Amino acid sequence: MKRLINQRPGRVSTAALALLPFVVLALFYMFASDARLAENPNDKLLPSFSTLAESFVRLTTEPSQRTGEILLWQDTEASLRRLAQGVGISAAIGLIVGVALGAIPLIRSGFAPFVAVLSLIPPMAVLPVLFIVFGLGEVSKVVLIVVGITPFIVRDLQQRVQELPRELIIKAQTLGANSWQIVLRVILPQVVPRLIDAVRLSLGTAWLFLISAEAIAATEGLGYRIFLVRRYLAMDVILPYVVWITLLAYLTDFLLKQTSRRAFPWYHTGEPGR
Amino acid sequence: MTFTPSNRPKSRVGRVLVPAVLLLTALSISGNALAKDQFRIAWSIYVGWMPWDYAAESGIVKKWADKYGIEIEVVQINDYVESINQYTAGAFDGCVMTNMDALTIPAAGGVDSTALIIGDFSNGNDAVILRDKTELAEIAGQKVNLVELSVSHYLLARGLASVGLSERDVTVVNTSDADMVSAFASGGPTAVVTWNPLVSEILAMPNTAKVFDSSQIPGEIIDLMVVNTETLEANPALGKALVGAWYETLSIMSKDDEAGRAARTAMGKASGTDLAGYDAQLASTKMFFEPAEAVAFAKSEQLPLTMEEVASFSFDHGLLGEGAPNPGFIGVAFPGERYFGDDGNLKLRFDSAYMQMAADGAL
Amino acid sequence: MTPRIRFENVWMTYGDQVVLERLNLTVAPGEFCTIVGASGCGKTTLLRLLLGEETPSRGRILLDGEPLPAEPGPDRGIVFQRYSVFPHLSVLGNVLLGLELRASPVTGRLLGAARRNAQEEAVAMLEAVGLGQALSKYPTQLSGGMQQRLALAQSLVMHPRILLLDEPFGALDPGIRRDMHELVLRLWRENNLTVFMVTHDIREGFYLGTRLLVFDKLRYDPDEPQAYGAGITYDLPIGQADSETLAAVLGRPGAAASDRPPAPGLQR
Repeated sequence: MKRLINQRPGRVSTAALALLPFVVLALFYMFASDARLAENPNDKLLPSFSTLAESFVRLTTEPSQRTGEILLWQDTEASLRRLAQGVGISAAIGLIVGVALGAIPLIRSGFAPFVAVLSLIPPMAVLPVLFIVFGLGEVSKVVLIVVGITPFIVRDLQQRVQELPRELIIKAQTLGANSWQIVLRVILPQVVPRLIDAVRLSLGTAWLFLISAEAIAATEGLGYRIFLVRRYLAMDVILPYVVWITLLAYLTDFLLKQTSRRAFPWYHTGEPGR
Repeated sequence: MTFTPSNRPKSRVGRVLVPAVLLLTALSISGNALAKDQFRIAWSIYVGWMPWDYAAESGIVKKWADKYGIEIEVVQINDYVESINQYTAGAFDGCVMTNMDALTIPAAGGVDSTALIIGDFSNGNDAVILRDKTELAEIAGQKVNLVELSVSHYLLARGLASVGLSERDVTVVNTSDADMVSAFASGGPTAVVTWNPLVSEILAMPNTAKVFDSSQIPGEIIDLMVVNTETLEANPALGKALVGAWYETLSIMSKDDEAGRAARTAMGKASGTDLAGYDAQLASTKMFFEPAEAVAFAKSEQLPLTMEEVASFSFDHGLLGEGAPNPGFIGVAFPGERYFGDDGNLKLRFDSAYMQMAADGAL
Repeated sequence: MTPRIRFENVWMTYGDQVVLERLNLTVAPGEFCTIVGASGCGKTTLLRLLLGEETPSRGRILLDGEPLPAEPGPDRGIVFQRYSVFPHLSVLGNVLLGLELRASPVTGRLLGAARRNAQEEAVAMLEAVGLGQALSKYPTQLSGGMQQRLALAQSLVMHPRILLLDEPFGALDPGIRRDMHELVLRLWRENNLTVFMVTHDIREGFYLGTRLLVFDKLRYDPDEPQAYGAGITYDLPIGQADSETLAAVLGRPGAAASDRPPAPGLQR
């Protein structure tokens, strides 16, 4: 018998092991739901799988009576738009400021401590300020995401720029590059795939801030819906929404990873710079 | 109706955990209808529910529980909706809530619930406020910030109907009560519907006008102590102890003597204000200090009509669940064998029997 | 004739620590200087001074009779042991880069006919180092030896006045290293280069250069090892070194003598 740390599953058992926790969770839920429904057929807390499925079909196909829109798509569009705007703005700021801080010592000396302090401000604590300054509309929701994830991206990119081998920067100078050319042709192209990494890491945080903002003041959005129907304990809406958000988050991450692999093949083979 | 700004939950992020916590609660708690001698009731901060805090803190609840040989734990929940959800999930035997939430959350969720105590109704505590406008009809076309699907929403619907408008004429923006005042102060919102003490804070700002309030629909927004019907049937002692403690507390606080002022000062302090502030809120609240008044209200002709109105609003907004075919899908019972809706699916019962005992001095 | 490089009484100190002292050196165009010495004896500092990454604490350095610019520039090419090529550019893109940067200060890119001309020049350079078949590959797809060939091509396409090599073959296998030696010697001859090469391998130093510079402490104080800096202890025109001198250099403790058997080309 090999040691436990040396035992590796085959292909089939890898798949089976990966599925196991999901199956266990589903079974656990099913038994708990059945038990509660047997006691109270109107129980809203743990709806049966068939109720959840019906509810999902209704949310994705039937227009709402009040607005005439199909709720899930309307909410998804609103939330993804806010997320894309927030993350896009953060990535742009992160790239510009991160590269400037990482590449130019004069700017780094002037602003790095400032950015370090800014990044320590808990974004949720300034949320009331954001609402007062930017109102209750779309802007404050996007700004919350930006405030929430930009400091991380800036600092991460600054770090990545500073981690670029010194040799490469010297080499570029021996090829006659001026500062601008070094940024444009040497640093930026190497940092963009690292920016995608940073964005992937901050997406979870971005979702957190998005849903928090939508819970406070909104007319549509995935977070808005969850916190609205929570008012009457509509778990048959909340649970499908949670699964849907998880799926969206997974897909976004997957797409970013694939984009990076296709656009920057050199980044994904071996060690950079060799 | 829920907490004041000073009592808002520490983290909104925490609310994301609600489904998870509810699931766990649901899995760990099953039948709670057995005869037992330990009970838990939940309350949250609102002018009409502050007596529960005082009753628990001053030992009145313990005194009455001891009298009937049971134990009652009174738990304050910072988040109003969460307290009702917890009650519906079975974590509490009783909970304070409005008549509308009693219908749409526990009753619609199949938890047979009894309105044991009718504490008060809002008599101006909830209001529609406009900026730079003075007539309700001028609300047409505006964005209205309010806690969607709450009594504020109901008040707006009733107000709009009174001037021949409907919800289609406005855009409802769901806004957390905790951020209502700061949002309005920021200058963005032009119309809000909310409750006290937020109403008085917003009205203190310039160019604001109260254009509709709950005193124009008296008796429609009712604050209740709701308990699980099965638990109550198996344990009448719980009903007797709670009702006894409640009216003893009310009789103390209703007097303008030293003890009464001390009680109201304590209640004001616990809700983030002082005696004057609390008295101002009481002024726009119709408290049923005498049990006989509450019994009369429960037996009135108006209550079934009000519940019909509430049920119809709830049905229109999908609050009774997608399976509900009509507003009467969930039956509501009233004293004197009166019913609204499906009497084969009675889930909310206004029961004046225990309040009658208090009125008769039989507790 | 103006010397290509001239060090005039150069000192290099960091705080209390003296790294180089009293360094005087004159190198004529076309010389191939190999530099050996123990770790921490100022070899790398010498290279950094030549690059312009460091400026002397005292004394001065002249390039073709003019003071050496205080930052790296296109007149001095460099090949490091690692990280000499840009991972995000193809082989062709790496060699093209210098030509593009020179011609286009704002965008750093060339278009149309100018690009085609530059491309021809870059391809010719790559063929000269034996990478004509790998134009579209990325550096990570190349072996270590091929990466160093690319680094050489990238530097030489700029026609630098001096070429600095910082242990360029230190990470390569012996067989590949031998091929690289042949390549460097060929490029040196064909392009009439002036080369400074730092190496750990004293045999490589003897084999490749026209002149071997051995760096070591000129004075030593055991209580205060930082007090004195290194300088050139041997300056040998290669081919004239007798076996006694060689033995003295090799036997000197701390002079980074290689313990490998002599490479086949050592008899030169």
